[in-house]
Amino acid sequence: MKRFLARQVAQLMVGLFGAALFAVALSAVTEPRPRSLPAYLLAVLDRLTHLSHGDLGHSAISGLPVVAELFQHLPPTLLLLAAGAAVALAAGLPIGILFAFGSLRRAAAPIMQIVTATPVFCAGLALAFGASEILHWPVGLASRTGLAASPEEALRLAALPIATVGLAGAAAVQLALRRAATRTAAASFRGGLKRLGLSSVEIEAFYVLPQIFAGLIASAGEIALALVSAAVVAEWVFHRDGAADLFVKSVALADWNMTAVILFAVAALTIVASFLGRVLGFLLVREQMP
Amino acid sequence: MTESGPLLELAGVSLMRGGETILDRVSFRLAAGEKLVVLGEAGAGKDALLRILGGFTAHNDTISGTIRYAGGPPVAASSRHRAALRVAYLPNPLSRPLAPGSVLKQLTRVVARKLRAPFGSAREDLRLALEQLPGGVTLAMLDTTPENLDPLTQALGLLACACAQTPDLLLAHTAVADLGPRAVKLLLEALDAAQKRLGFALIFATGGLQPAARLGGRVLVLRGGRVVEEGSAERLMSGHAHAYTRRLFEALPKLKTGVPKPRGAVRGQPLLQVHNLAFGGESAGRDGLTFELRRGASLALVGEPGSGREALMRLVVGFEPAPKGCILFDAVDLNVLSPVMAARIRRRIAFITGRDDTLDPRMTLYDTVDEPLRAHLNLSSELVAGYRDTALKRVGLASHDGKRRVATLSAFDKRRLQVARAIVGAPLLVVIDEALSGLDAHAQAILREVLVDFRTNQDPTFLVVTSDFTIAQALAEDAMVFEAGKLVERGSIAHLVHAPKHDATKALIEAVTLPSLDLSPGSASD
Amino acid sequence: MSRNTPVLGNVLRGVGWFGLALLLITMFLSDFLAHAPAGAEFPGIELSAPSEVHPFGTDMLGRDVLSETLHGLAETGRLAMWAAFFAIVLGGLFGAVAARLPRPLALALRGLFGILGAIPPLLLAIVIVGLTGHFFVAVAAGIGAAPLGFVRAFDRVDLHSPHADYAIATGIPGLSLLQRDLTYDFRHVLGAVVARALAAVTIIVSTASFLGFGAEPPARDLGLIIAAAKINHFTAWWTAIFPGLALILFILCARLAAGLEEGESA
Repeated sequence: MKRFLARQVAQLMVGLFGAALFAVALSAVTEPRPRSLPAYLLAVLDRLTHLSHGDLGHSAISGLPVVAELFQHLPPTLLLLAAGAAVALAAGLPIGILFAFGSLRRAAAPIMQIVTATPVFCAGLALAFGASEILHWPVGLASRTGLAASPEEALRLAALPIATVGLAGAAAVQLALRRAATRTAAASFRGGLKRLGLSSVEIEAFYVLPQIFAGLIASAGEIALALVSAAVVAEWVFHRDGAADLFVKSVALADWNMTAVILFAVAALTIVASFLGRVLGFLLVREQMP
Repeated sequence: MTESGPLLELAGVSLMRGGETILDRVSFRLAAGEKLVVLGEAGAGKDALLRILGGFTAHNDTISGTIRYAGGPPVAASSRHRAALRVAYLPNPLSRPLAPGSVLKQLTRVVARKLRAPFGSAREDLRLALEQLPGGVTLAMLDTTPENLDPLTQALGLLACACAQTPDLLLAHTAVADLGPRAVKLLLEALDAAQKRLGFALIFATGGLQPAARLGGRVLVLRGGRVVEEGSAERLMSGHAHAYTRRLFEALPKLKTGVPKPRGAVRGQPLLQVHNLAFGGESAGRDGLTFELRRGASLALVGEPGSGREALMRLVVGFEPAPKGCILFDAVDLNVLSPVMAARIRRRIAFITGRDDTLDPRMTLYDTVDEPLRAHLNLSSELVAGYRDTALKRVGLASHDGKRRVATLSAFDKRRLQVARAIVGAPLLVVIDEALSGLDAHAQAILREVLVDFRTNQDPTFLVVTSDFTIAQALAEDAMVFEAGKLVERGSIAHLVHAPKHDATKALIEAVTLPSLDLSPGSASD
Repeated sequence: MSRNTPVLGNVLRGVGWFGLALLLITMFLSDFLAHAPAGAEFPGIELSAPSEVHPFGTDMLGRDVLSETLHGLAETGRLAMWAAFFAIVLGGLFGAVAARLPRPLALALRGLFGILGAIPPLLLAIVIVGLTGHFFVAVAAGIGAAPLGFVRAFDRVDLHSPHADYAIATGIPGLSLLQRDLTYDFRHVLGAVVARALAAVTIIVSTASFLGFGAEPPARDLGLIIAAAKINHFTAWWTAIFPGLALILFILCARLAAGLEEGESA
C-alpha cells in the first residue's frame, strides 16, 4: 500500500519534472533558430536562469508575459474540458456499462468501431451542420462571432464545442470500461461464486462492477488525453477563444515560448489526472491495476 | 424431506457439449448421509456430473436422463431444473473461486443467500461452523482479500461456509488437491467429522486417490464419461476390481518403511556446495546451513508449503541473492560472475516444476525443446531435431504436433514438455519443484516413471522440493525436513521413514501413510 | 460467450483488410480514376451541386470534388503509411526491444516516453511540424503516435514473468528472450499492429492537416480539403461530406482490420 503510493508519487514528480524540462527545451528554440548545438544549449541555460528568477518569458506575438496570456486563455478551455468530461461521463458510462457485459459487448463492438472511427473534426463539423440546418442555431464557423448577445445565445454557442469534446471523451470512457470488462471477463471468481450459490446479478453488481469502475478511474489519464485533443480541435472548429486555440496559433506563428507553457500545462493536466486515477483506482479495489 | 427412499437417484443422465459426449448415461443412487467418491482423471466427466447436480450448467450443454430427489417423482435433468434439496458446494481454494475483497463478506453473502437469512444471522452461522472445525480459524482472520490467505485457511473458510448452510447434499470438487499432505489430512478429517455431525450426503469428485482411501465410503470410477465401476473403497483397493481401477490404485505411491539397506557412499565431484547459508527471514541471525551435493547424488527438501524449502531452493539456484553465506555451483560462485559467464554455467541447471507458467505459453512445442540447444550450442538443424525427437519420445510427446503452442497443451503435457526440455540440456543439476502437483493419479504415475527413467539414464543430480515423502522416496536418497523456516531433520530417506525423530517428519510421513491401504497386497512393505 | 462471435470477428477483420486493399488500389490509380489532375480549376462552375458531369459537385474554386477527394485520399494514404511506419518502428518495435535492454537504460527510456505520452499525440505532432516544416508531416505524426505505442509495447513485455525467470536461471541469455518477444509477439500481432497504427496516425495526420499543419502545398490531403470546405459547408455540403466520408471509410477499414477488440486488450 505505502510502497504503491510512494511509487506513484515518485512517478508523478518525475513526470512533472520531465515535462518541465521538455517545455524549457522547447522554449529555448527562438527565432532565428540557434545554429549549433552549443548555441542551443546556451539558450537552454539562459532560459533556466530566467526561469529561476520566476520569469517565464514573453509571448512573441502579443508581447505579454506568457503566464498572463495563459491565465487569460486557460479558464474557457478548462471550463470546456470540465463540461466535456461531464458529457463524456454522462454519455460514456451508460453506453460503456451496457456494452461491457457478456454477449452485448461482442455484438456492440463493430458498431462502436464505426462510431469511433470518425475523427473529432469531422464529428464537430457534422454537429455544426446538424445544429445549423435542423435546430437553426447561429453557428459561427466562418469567422469569430464575438461576444454573444444574450446568455441563451452564449449557451448555444458553447453547446457545440462541449458536445464535440464530450463525444470524444465518451468514446474514451466506453473504451476504458470495455477494456476493464474484458479483463474481468475471464476471472475465475465469476464461475466460483456462481457455483457457491450467488446469482449472476449479485456477482456482477458486487464483485465485477467495482473492478470495472476501478479500471475506468485508472485510465483517467487516457481520457484526459482524448479530451485535450478534442478541445484543440473543437476550439479551432468553433472559433472559441481558449488555450487550445492559442496553442495552434502559437505553433503556426513560431511562438515557442507560449507553445512550451501551454504544452507543459496540458502535460501536467494529464500526468496529474493519471496519477489521481491510478491512486483512486487502487484504493477502490485495493489491487494494483496493470 | 421424506425419510423413505434414496436422497438422490440418477437414471441415465448424459451431458453433451458441441456434439461431444461428456457424460454418458450415468446412473446411481445416494442415500441420505452417504458418502460417494467420484474418481476419475481429468476429462472423465466429474465436473459435468457436479454441474448437473449443482444446477450450474453452461447454456450449450445438452442434458438428458432423469433425477429423483428424496423419493419424489423423477424429473428430467436439464439445465433449467433446480434440485429439490439444499445443495452446498465446496471448491478448491487454488481454483480461486473468490473475488478480490473480503473473504468473510463473500462467504457470509453465500450463506445468507442459501439460507435466505439476514446477514447478521448468516455471519453467526458461519462463526459457529468455524468453531466446529479444527485449525482455529476465526471470522476476523477471514476478513481480508483471498490473496492474503493461505490455501488451508481459505479451504477451512469454504468448508465452514458449506457446513453453515446445513445442506442435504455437499458437492466437493477436487477440494483438497495440491494443498500439501498435512492440509489434505486435516481437511479430509474435518470433512468426515462434519459429515457425521451434520448428516449430509457427500459427493466428492477427485482425481487423486488420497480422498478415496481416506474418506472410505462408496467409490464411483468414471472414465471418458462412463461409470467403469462402483463399489466400496475397500473392495476397489483389494485386487478384485476392474483392470482400469486396479491400475489406478497400483499407481498410488506407497511409502517403503522397511529397514533401510546399507548403501555405498556417493562418489563424484561436489556439484553444489552450500556453506553457512542463512535463509528464511527470521532465521537470518542463526547459524547458517551447510551441505554438499555431489554429482549423481540426490537430495529432497521436504516440508509443507511455506516451511522454507522453496526459499532455500530459490537461494541455492540463484533466483534471489543470498543475504549471507556462500553457494558454489561446480566450484563457482554464480553471483560474482558476469551475466554472460553465469549463463554459460547455468545452462547445466534444469527445472521441472509444478507451475505451468514456467514455459513460455507463446512458444511452440518444438521451439520449447530446441531453445536450450540453440541458445548454447552451434548445432545443425538435423542434429537439433534429432536430440529433440529423442527427448520427446522419452517423455511420450513424440506423437504431438510440434507446431502446437504451449498455451494449448494440457497440464500433463506441459509437465512432460518441461522434462523434455530438461533432457536435451544434459543438465548436471535438475531441480524438481512439486512437479506432480495438479495432476490426476494416472498422470502422476506416468510422470514419476519418466523422472525416474531420466535419472537412471542420464544420472544428473536431483534436487527435489516436495511435501510428499512418497515422491521424495521415489526420486531421491537423502532428505532435509523443514518446518517453519528451519531445518529440523536430515538424513537418508530410508532412515527417516523407518525411524523419524522430529514431530514434523512424523507428521509428514503419517500424512501419506494410508491405514486402509495396508489391507491391500501391493502395499506390503518390503 | 456464444460460439459464432470469433467468426464474426474474423469476417469483419477480413472485410477491413479487403477494404484497405481496395482503397490502396484506388490510391495507386487515383491519377487514372480522377477526371481532372490535382488542383485543376474549372472557372465558371464554382460550387455546383452534384451532377452527372461532376458526381460529387465542385468546390468554391471550381475544382471537381470527386477528383480532389481521390487525390486527397492518395495523399492522406501516402502520409499515413509513412507515419504508421515511423510509429511502429519508434513505438512498438523500439518499445519491445527497449524493455529487454539493461535495466537503468530501459527505465530511463520508459520514463522519457512516458512523459512524451502525457502530451496528446496531436499536439506533439503539431509542434514537430511547426519546428521542422511541412515536409516532415508523416514523420511528425509517426513520432506523435510513437510514445503511446512504445509504452504499450514496453509494458506488454513481462520482464518478471515466471517463464523469463526460469529461462534466465537455466542460462538462456537475454538475447534469446528478446528473440522470443520478436518472433512470437510481434509476428503474431503484426497485422493488427499495422492496422491499428494506420488508423491512429490517419486521424493525427488529417486532424493536423485540418488545423493547417498538413501536407506540403500544393499537395492537398483530405484534412486540408475538409478545412477549405469548412467555410461554405452549410450551403455547399458536398464539398465537405465526400472527402469526410472517404476519410472515415479509410479509418474504419483500418480499425476493422485491427480486430474488434482493438484497444480492449491493452
